[in-house]
Amino acid sequence: MTRPRALIAAAGFVLCMLVPLVITQDYQLNVLFRVFLFAGLGLAWNLVGGYAGQLSLGHAAFFGIGGYGLALFHGKLGVPIWGALALGVVAAVLAALVIGQVAFRLRGPYFALSTIAFAEVLRLSAKNLTSITGGDVGYQAPALFDDSPSRWFYWSAVVLTAAAFAVTALAARSRFGFWLQAIREDEDTAMAVGINPARTKLRALLISAALTAVGGGLYASLFLFIVPDQMLAIDISNEIAIVAMLGGAGTLTGPIVGAALLETASEVFKNLFHEAHLLIYGVLIVVVVMFLPEGIVGALTTWWRRRNR
Amino acid sequence: MTALLEVDRVSKRFGGLRAVNDVSFAVNPGEVLFIVGPNGAGKTTLFNLITGFVPADAGAIRFAGHSLAGKRPYAAASLGIGRTFQIVKPLRGLTVLENVMLGAFLRTRSPSEAAARAREVLAFLQMEAVANLPANGLPIATLKRLEIARALATRPQLILLDEVVAGLPTAEALALAALLQRLPEWGVSAVAGVEHVMQVVMKVAQRVVVLDRGALIAEGAPADVVRRPEVIEAYLGTKYKQVTG
Repeated sequence: MTRPRALIAAAGFVLCMLVPLVITQDYQLNVLFRVFLFAGLGLAWNLVGGYAGQLSLGHAAFFGIGGYGLALFHGKLGVPIWGALALGVVAAVLAALVIGQVAFRLRGPYFALSTIAFAEVLRLSAKNLTSITGGDVGYQAPALFDDSPSRWFYWSAVVLTAAAFAVTALAARSRFGFWLQAIREDEDTAMAVGINPARTKLRALLISAALTAVGGGLYASLFLFIVPDQMLAIDISNEIAIVAMLGGAGTLTGPIVGAALLETASEVFKNLFHEAHLLIYGVLIVVVVMFLPEGIVGALTTWWRRRNR
Repeated sequence: MTALLEVDRVSKRFGGLRAVNDVSFAVNPGEVLFIVGPNGAGKTTLFNLITGFVPADAGAIRFAGHSLAGKRPYAAASLGIGRTFQIVKPLRGLTVLENVMLGAFLRTRSPSEAAARAREVLAFLQMEAVANLPANGLPIATLKRLEIARALATRPQLILLDEVVAGLPTAEALALAALLQRLPEWGVSAVAGVEHVMQVVMKVAQRVVVLDRGALIAEGAPADVVRRPEVIEAYLGTKYKQVTG
């Protein structure tokens, strides 16, 4: 990223942080929290799913571990709240180490299926290990913020997005970013220039898992009560991937655009169409996948390049 | 002089097909060796064996004092073996310069150093004019050079060039082959796999090995090799052997 662009990004961050001065209603702040939460999650996913081209449909695993980590390390072991959040992140990174070792041996659709399988195993384990997780009855998550929590949750989601954005921006222009893209395009060519694809993909997954777990912790703490079908649901995995692909997988700003669009649209549809909102949401996704396979930012970039040629 | 690369009685089968059958040869430092053979003779498999893309069934391959047995392709690249692919594989989203930087990143972490190295290599291959163009949509002759540039940017001691002049017009092929002859100036040896481009081989090669159906059937100076009956047979069929012999 060039200097003027970095300044624009910094200005954007400051503006986003100032939003609670204007918008004070809890409902609106909570919608915006969801926008930035999924922007951050989409950016985290984008390192693996976009830049490295490894379609993960199991990011709910890291999200859930972040959420359950916060709840269980605090509730069961008495770790202070922020320490529990950090331990949840560590647990997600360790899980990514295991999942990556196995899943990255597989390519294409088999990789995607294996990531779904890992997340599902975790969800079913959380449902059945009732003595630890409370199973379907749920488990209490601690409150990260006591005073005017809506604002603070909003701010922390913005910070998560900014962190994920900064990590992606730095990675994209470094050797690591080149390596990820080389792996996405062709693993044989990548190996021929000395890249170890397994190790490089694993590094991306570890970073991605850490950021995703922070998002899971925030989400759990906002709801104060968590169940496996919410924290480890396949819906979470899908939503993270769809946000990034809608905006443009492998683009820096795509996941932010995707989250802004998808999360506000689904909120509006929910209010307008009630039960039919999922149908409209589904049709929207099909339309984008069919007509904008590169995502919104990807398609705009292509159009802009062509126009200026 | 000790050889840089020694291929020692290497074999590889794919099911019932002997893709490479008991092949031995050596490449000396500073040499550009041409491997000549019709389509399916086993050139690509041989390159895949040397670079670790497929494991050998038998035989040994040694490079600069290291055994390459069990080495993965990225390890072979780190040791100093660059390669190009028969089917050119540029990275679509990237420019020519960025594609070449990818090779340079093997030896440096810094993007600016990688870019400097890439520019050096592009200058050598007379590609400065296209450095900032996107790699997709370039003509095949340029893409062939891009493959070589990317391999050269890894600072190899040896590069393996698979079908390096295939599909190029003769003038282009000769120009490229002449450039390959200058690789030793960079401290790089090369093994170039070529098909039916005997004009090129006769003009630029000092030493060739001829592969036919997985076996090495001749080795030596191009002018001598083309007179051998087994080479004529492999290329033109048995009828011509009687006519010329």
